[in-house]
Amino acid sequence: MTFEAKPDTYSSVQHWMEVVNARHGLSERDWDERLTVLSSYCDSLGKDPDTIIQEALDERDSKLDYMRHLRRWANDQARGLQATHELQNVVRSFFINNGARVLTKPYPDVYGGGGS
Amino acid sequence: MEFLEVVGSRRSIRWFKTWEKVPRDKIQRILEVVRLTTCPGNLQPWRAIVVERDELDEQTREGLLGADNWQGAHTQAPVWIYWYADPSVTRPESFQENTVELTDLGALPSAYGWSKEMIEASIQRGEVVQAGGPAINELIHGMPAEVGAAVAYAETVGACACATLAAVNEGLGTCLHMIAAPSKQDRVKELLGVPESVLPVWVQLVGYPAEEPEAGGQRPRLPFETLYFERSWGRPFPRDEEVVSQLTKERLLQQPMPKPGRFDELKFLSRMYGYPE
Repeated sequence: MTFEAKPDTYSSVQHWMEVVNARHGLSERDWDERLTVLSSYCDSLGKDPDTIIQEALDERDSKLDYMRHLRRWANDQARGLQATHELQNVVRSFFINNGARVLTKPYPDVYGGGGS
Repeated sequence: MEFLEVVGSRRSIRWFKTWEKVPRDKIQRILEVVRLTTCPGNLQPWRAIVVERDELDEQTREGLLGADNWQGAHTQAPVWIYWYADPSVTRPESFQENTVELTDLGALPSAYGWSKEMIEASIQRGEVVQAGGPAINELIHGMPAEVGAAVAYAETVGACACATLAAVNEGLGTCLHMIAAPSKQDRVKELLGVPESVLPVWVQLVGYPAEEPEAGGQRPRLPFETLYFERSWGRPFPRDEEVVSQLTKERLLQQPMPKPGRFDELKFLSRMYGYPE
C-alpha cells in the first residue's frame, strides 16, 4: 500500500508531528509542505510510512538503503543544492523523530571553507 | 568577566557562528591558561594541536569531521583544539626530575622533608618517606606504565576543564567532544601526525556562539547535598541559602534551562544551517 490520501492517519506520521510540534510548534503550512514531501518520498518507494519506519528500525541495512534512496530521490527533484538538502531534511526528520538514527549534515558551505 | 561569572556562564556550546574567525591571540590566551593549570609533580602531560578548519584541505577536513561522526558543533566551529595526553612524561623518572626541580626552586619545602636525596631514595628505591612528607615511595616507585598513562589522561582531562573556562573568559563558545569514535582514532592521529603512543583525550571546539551564549540556561545538576558530604559519606554538607543568594547575584548560579524561547531558537538554528527539526 502506498502513501496516499491522508498521511497523518499513519501512526509514524502522527508520532513525528507530535514530537516536533511539542518542541517547535510548526504551522499548518509547514506541515502541509512536509507531508507533501514525505508522501512523495514514500510513493517513490511504493511503501507506506509505517512500513518504512518499521523496516528502518528493524534492520540497519534497510535504513541505509532508505537513506541512499533518499539522496537519489532528492537529487532527481533537481531543484538545486540547498533545496535538495532541505527535501532530504524533511525525510530525515521523519526518521529521526521515529527513533531511526540517521546522519545529518549542515549545508556544505557551513564547513566547506566558506563556500565549497 | 569575574571568575564566578565565567564558571556560571560556561555551557557546552553546540551552535557556532561558522563564518566568524577566532583571533589567534584568543587561542594563545587559552593555551597560556592551561599551561599554568594544576598538575601533580608538575608533569604537564597535555599536548594540544590547534587546527583552523578553514585552513584544511578538503580531504583532511572531511576525515576529521567524519571521525567525529559529522557532529553539528564540530562542522560549525572554526577552531578545533585536539588535546592529547603524553604518557611518556608520567613515568617515575619524570616525576623525580620535576620534583627535584620544584625542590630546588623552593616550591616543595625542605621543612616538610623534601630534598633531592629523599626524592631519589623514595622513587628509585622505594624507601619510606619520613612523616610529614608524601608517600611517593608507594605511589611512584615501580609505578606501572598503565598507571602512568591513567595519570596522563586524567591530568589532561583536568587541563581541558581549564581550557573551557579560559575560552569562556575570552568571550568565546566552546565544547568538548570525543576526538573520534574509538575505531577512528588512528585515522585522526595519521591526519594530524600524532605519535602512536600518545593518548587521545578531547577535541575542544572553539568559536563564537550562534546560539545565545546562555544556550538555553544552566544545565540540570545533581542536588548539592547529594554531591557533597561532611565528615562522613552520605551526611550532606548543608547548603546555606544566603550563600546561594549571593552566588546568584554574582552570576555563578543562573537561570536553569530551558529558558523561554529555547525551542524557537533551536528551530531557527536548524533552519539556518540546514538541519532537520
